[in-house]
Amino acid sequence: MKFKKMTSALLAAVLLGTTALTGCGSGNDSVAEDGRKNLKVFLYLNDHESEIYKEMINKFQEEHSDTIANIDLQITTQDEYETTLTGMMTAGDMPDVFYVGPNAVEQYVENGYIENLTPYLEEMNISTDGLMQNIVDSYRYDGEKTGSGDVYALPKDSSVFAYAYNKDLFDEAGLEYPDPENPYTYDEFVEVCKKLTKDTDGDGEIDQWGAGFANAFMLYQFIWSNGASFTSDDYKTITIDTPEFKEALQKYVDLTLVHKVTPTVEQDASLGVYQRWLSGQEAFYACGTWDVAAFMDKETFPYNWDLCTFPTLSTGKSMTWLGTVGYCVSSSSENKAEAVELINYLSTDADGQREVSGITTGNSIQIPNITELAEGEFIEAINNGTLKYPSNVNVIFDYMNGTDKVDGRFMETNYTPNAEWSDIFFAGVDKVKNGSMSVDDFIAEIQPQMQEALDNAWDSVS
Amino acid sequence: MTSVKQKKKMSRAAREENRWGLAFVASPFIGFLIFMAFPIVFAFVASLTKWNGINNMLDNFIGFENYIKLLTDEKFWKVLGNTIIYMIGIPIGMILGLVIAVGMNRKIRGIKVLRTLYYVPVVSSLVAVAILWMWVFNYDYGLFNSIIKALTGMKGPNWLGDEFWVKVSMIIFMVWKGLGSSIILYLAGLQNIPRDYYEAASIDGATGFGLFRHITIPLVSPVTFYLLITGLIGGFQVFVEVLVMVPTGGLDYSAATVVFYLYEKAFSSRQMGYGSAMAFILAIIIFIITAINFKAQNKWVKDLD
Repeated sequence: MKFKKMTSALLAAVLLGTTALTGCGSGNDSVAEDGRKNLKVFLYLNDHESEIYKEMINKFQEEHSDTIANIDLQITTQDEYETTLTGMMTAGDMPDVFYVGPNAVEQYVENGYIENLTPYLEEMNISTDGLMQNIVDSYRYDGEKTGSGDVYALPKDSSVFAYAYNKDLFDEAGLEYPDPENPYTYDEFVEVCKKLTKDTDGDGEIDQWGAGFANAFMLYQFIWSNGASFTSDDYKTITIDTPEFKEALQKYVDLTLVHKVTPTVEQDASLGVYQRWLSGQEAFYACGTWDVAAFMDKETFPYNWDLCTFPTLSTGKSMTWLGTVGYCVSSSSENKAEAVELINYLSTDADGQREVSGITTGNSIQIPNITELAEGEFIEAINNGTLKYPSNVNVIFDYMNGTDKVDGRFMETNYTPNAEWSDIFFAGVDKVKNGSMSVDDFIAEIQPQMQEALDNAWDSVS
Repeated sequence: MTSVKQKKKMSRAAREENRWGLAFVASPFIGFLIFMAFPIVFAFVASLTKWNGINNMLDNFIGFENYIKLLTDEKFWKVLGNTIIYMIGIPIGMILGLVIAVGMNRKIRGIKVLRTLYYVPVVSSLVAVAILWMWVFNYDYGLFNSIIKALTGMKGPNWLGDEFWVKVSMIIFMVWKGLGSSIILYLAGLQNIPRDYYEAASIDGATGFGLFRHITIPLVSPVTFYLLITGLIGGFQVFVEVLVMVPTGGLDYSAATVVFYLYEKAFSSRQMGYGSAMAFILAIIIFIITAINFKAQNKWVKDLD
């Protein structure tokens, strides 16, 4: 009888306990028993990055073992990051260190989630002058707009979405390589692409194309190079009905419909343009700075290749987009100074940067954040062959820093509270690319929807 | 009367037992409060605000604005339409399920193997089989288009890339995925029908289809009812299939469902309040449809007793 009672008591306790436990998280653990600090870091990283960053964080922890007891690194995927972070914000249980993109700086600051880093950096005598300035600037906020003022995050990386070509296909066709400093005009590009589009096995169907374009990443280059933009300068009005925009979109779809130098929408559906580039079916494709290690790996991409620039339209300037994500410190963190030290290390530690940029490992997943390192050791390592990188690496820096012929910028979505307006455009643009709708009709149909979504987006943060 | 009095004067043992009972009941009840009641209230409050996950929810109270906006949101009506179109798969699945169940409701060699095979999709991971079917639907290399090409010499449709065919694709996939469970349920229903009903009807001169039409169908109607209810409720909540097979929602959002749109609004566009309002409208729709179904069941659902 007693035994029975005890078992039921136990059972009830366990049941209740598990219910309660799942409900709440653990209590305050920002300070360890011995007074040293605990840090919680929440990031998204791919497998390759995880290894490197875990090592870097371990090293930091060892070097700071007098003040830091433990760094709890939680890694997720890019897809799940936002959802999880929103959950943390709602629960009021923020990690000490997490990511912020330029688009979210204003909202995070205004709602009191992230800490102004400038006072900490000044006190610790840390200068951001050695970092890529336009990237650091994207994390500044002056109380009204992003771009100037105090720094709220330090860059994890800055990326460039450059263009690339398959050298082997050029050799085969007996064509001269593209000049990385003098971008093709649209017409020149079409001519070259036509010579590279062919039926290689003689079955009557085209199986090699001049180029492949993934709409959501590779239409911008045409729009911007034609002097157009998706939105007005204040990012409040959709401006896709300008003649420049329409012309750029027309020229973009003409590559598929008129010149037939890209896979069709249907062909793209059966095997994506990225896969086709990897299997050597496209002479031109894009290469983000994060792609370099993969493209240099002969198992992934068994061809010789190099970087080049996107073709130009009416402005004569080759354009592409830049990307970045930064480390920020939670304003509810109880260990802000330690957190700032950690992100400064992650962002600017020379050894760490040598590692991720591939100077020491040979495989590059990003360019160094430190200008001096980027222009010095990084280039040297490429030139002497210890770092596997295509020889036209300057294309990357040209896009990053801007020249009179080449320039980079952030996508418009980097400045709007969400990207729904842009998703609407890209969800439908294949109707133009497959020829079932004209540019004019499409824009007339889609612009009001995009404007409504953009209005809603701004309204959602007002 | 006496029993009431007895209750008042409960013995110690009985009271103790009562306490234990309450302790056991408390667990699911507290669980319900934390995991069901609270989120429902929370979502309702959120649906009245411009909460975006970052700002303070209660500072951004806007009343029923989200609901009003939703009713004029073309995209919402579009995804609701898509969701309802997908439900064409429910009757198709039921008919196929019943026919196959009747076929399998007999003693043939290897019947257990066959039944298991039909059930495999049900126990398989939804994500895994959805990826598998993406290849079946592939435009150039897919199973369907290869067969079509071999038979007719013509290219098949762009299954997942076309506004019309993507819906057909999703329906085919959902029917395939759900077939196993309807077969199993129909089989159980069929085996409950006493043989003498058929014998009696045969003596009266009924044959093949007549037996099926007048005995089988009415007597498995409780199963049909169950499948209809669960099918409709599940149908309004379709999400994973879309997310895996057409992650962008399809050309011009032609494959997106209500829950898919809700998810995108809440988590991609950070309009949590709006997403919550959509979830509530969806819940109300499901509630009304289920209520109608239960009301209407007297008209066509036959009981064996």
